[in-house]
Amino acid sequence: MSQTKVVAGQDLREMFAAAGSWLEKSSAEIDALNVFPVPDGDTGTNMMLTMRSTMEEAYRAPDHSASGVAHAMAKGALMGARGNSGVILSQIWRGLAEGLEGRESFNATDLADALDKSAVIAYKGVSNPVEGTMLTVMKDAAAAARARVDAGDEDIIAIMEATVNAAGESLANTPNLLKVLRDAGVVDAGGQGLYTIFEGAMRYLRGETELMRLRKPQIIVSETPHVASLTAAAGVEEVPFGYCTEFLLKGEKLDAETIKKRLLKKGESLIVVGDETAVRIHIHTLTPGNVVQFATKLGTMHQVSIRNMDEQHQDYLEMQKDRLPTTDTAVIAVASGDGLADVFGSLGAAAVVPGGQTMNPSTKDILQAVESTFSDKIIILPNNKNIILTAEQVPALTEKKVKVVPTRTIPQGVVALLAFDYEAEFNTNADIMTKALAAVKTIEVTRSVRTTRINGLKIKKKQPIGLLDGDLVAAGETNAEVIHKLLDRLDLEKAEVVTMYYGAEAEAAEAEQISASITKEYPQLQVEVIRGGQPHYSYIISIE
Amino acid sequence: MTVKIVTDSLSDITEDLARELGLTVVPLYVRFGEDIYRDRVDITTEEFYRRLVTESTLPSTTQPTPNDFLEVYQKLAKETDEILVIVVSSKLSGTYQSATQAKQMVSGKCRIEIIDSLSVAMGQGLIAISSAEAVKKGASLEKAADLARQAVSRSHLIAYFDTLKYLAKGGRIGKASGLLGSMLSVKPILTIKEGEMSPLTRVRSMSAGLDYMYGVIAGYGKVEALAVEHSTTPDDADALVERLGALFPRERIRRSIISPVVGTYAGPKALALTFLEAAR
Repeated sequence: MSQTKVVAGQDLREMFAAAGSWLEKSSAEIDALNVFPVPDGDTGTNMMLTMRSTMEEAYRAPDHSASGVAHAMAKGALMGARGNSGVILSQIWRGLAEGLEGRESFNATDLADALDKSAVIAYKGVSNPVEGTMLTVMKDAAAAARARVDAGDEDIIAIMEATVNAAGESLANTPNLLKVLRDAGVVDAGGQGLYTIFEGAMRYLRGETELMRLRKPQIIVSETPHVASLTAAAGVEEVPFGYCTEFLLKGEKLDAETIKKRLLKKGESLIVVGDETAVRIHIHTLTPGNVVQFATKLGTMHQVSIRNMDEQHQDYLEMQKDRLPTTDTAVIAVASGDGLADVFGSLGAAAVVPGGQTMNPSTKDILQAVESTFSDKIIILPNNKNIILTAEQVPALTEKKVKVVPTRTIPQGVVALLAFDYEAEFNTNADIMTKALAAVKTIEVTRSVRTTRINGLKIKKKQPIGLLDGDLVAAGETNAEVIHKLLDRLDLEKAEVVTMYYGAEAEAAEAEQISASITKEYPQLQVEVIRGGQPHYSYIISIE
Repeated sequence: MTVKIVTDSLSDITEDLARELGLTVVPLYVRFGEDIYRDRVDITTEEFYRRLVTESTLPSTTQPTPNDFLEVYQKLAKETDEILVIVVSSKLSGTYQSATQAKQMVSGKCRIEIIDSLSVAMGQGLIAISSAEAVKKGASLEKAADLARQAVSRSHLIAYFDTLKYLAKGGRIGKASGLLGSMLSVKPILTIKEGEMSPLTRVRSMSAGLDYMYGVIAGYGKVEALAVEHSTTPDDADALVERLGALFPRERIRRSIISPVVGTYAGPKALALTFLEAAR
């Protein structure tokens, strides 16, 4: 495979311009994640606007060297930084500029150096750095780039991929570091913005501009169980938020450190960054007048913005309210395989606890998900007969109202979740979901672990075998053969929808072939193929 | 003098029914590119749905102008001095605004009451129909408006969607946005709650959808009036009517078609079951 060992200044600009557009696509979603430091729902917008200003300046760079472009970006970001996240972003670009100082183009080592600088300078700009924010994401991303380079990789795309992966993992971990995120069931908004920017840059380098035009960035879901509601977590603090005050101070011989010290006691979330001629100040204060008075003595104020954060917070709550379903019951599902977890997530499960055949979660795992889910009324879908009992221990261990709908298979879990009635109250919903189980048949295909004889079947080791609602009733030479044998046993007269979840060991192409053969034999059925990514079972099939 | 009833075209009250009940229907507008049509007047439902699924650009919709209402008010004012207007949910359309602005422009002694139905389609239509019936029995404006307000709280709508694409694109998805983004192909069932679209549940097929709708109404007890509507699948709607025939006398079940303006958001293969719960 060809490697990209050197990136020119022009490409540096183009990759972050692409990253900026990529970010714009999800700025509204990022706004909605925003709970820290103040849940005012503007992080995505702020980062987007900061990126715009960053890139406008980048196009005005005096030359096309990497150094020139990076310095222009840093300047543009400082001049146009908006909000906490914007100011931190401007510091990240400043680190990049310092790291690429004097470079015409850059290689893998330069990139790793520059990202290191970005992390260091980003931390320095913030008076009280908090972990679990975009600072942490920046630090972890830089460390990954460094590790990759140290391992001898010279391909910049590979370095960026490592950076993005690490940023994603770090981002997913932010709720573990910052309680307010955990309570709200979101990842850090600024971190999400930064991740999206890196991801956009990586995709540009990979040449995926067409794909970027068609798709949207992914919002990382927190690894800790995701919860349905953000309002309560965001609304507990009764303390007034005061005014978000930000401006650019221009003058001579300005000293960011001294200014920072002077402003430290005037408010929260203080950031002071810049150089001798221009300093950007961001502070959450109850007395913006004092801050302004102080600043006017030092120089001239530009782009002054003083916003009442309580108002912003109200808008934010309204915004969240619009997104929330009307129910107060949350559903937690157990599933293994990223595809299956996504299926449950996409259907509205508040959390997915990893687990399934051969890897049963503990009662504690499920309990933890229950406790960290915002709702007080929770329905658990164990989705495996060996997990039902474990799940049934949970109600006694928590003060929350918990019911277990005894789903024995993934298809039963999906059917139960779909049947969830948004208008029904807790107990009724559990009943409705339990009743829905009768409407689905489950086929599971796996491989025999030994040669044996069971239910009148002669089974060889590693041969595909099929279970119908948990009973081993078919064996065959191929997965397709087993699936067809099982379908033949079913009365498909009333069936309408067949959903095939193919596992980690199965191929998409084979799944499509089997799907086509089912459609051929049973033209009245609608067959859907989904990557479940589950271990152990090459296929889990639902017949409704 | 008899009270005159006015509603808008989203009530799905057909021309024939409007004539029979002495109702006036003010059309909204639906637009395909440069072509603007009055809902159900300049474009038939058949023509609309054909274009909805075949044309590359989606239609857009516009509320009636205040002047549209003003003209109707002025015309009716020659026959009566009491008008009751029942409009589509103000959370879904600006029609309520237009109707209200027009009211302020009316000179003379004609009194006009405007009721926000907080519903749409026959959920709104059934309120207008029951008001028309009350007026026929001699209800005054006050009485009719009072009854209409009570009917608003008794009106229910359950809608089966083949896709939420149209609703989401049209910005009317409300609290049902949580149903978007499913990795499985699911058919959402929504209701209208406090005037906004709100989720009920999801099914995997039309027949499961029919089962669900039947189940809801069967569990409701007394129902005063009901209606079944479709966008592009009359047979499915007829099948539902057939089943409902086991619960209600057939003549109580009204049958209509989802109007182009509502169809812009409901999309093809949508069904709506609406009913007025009996007054207590």
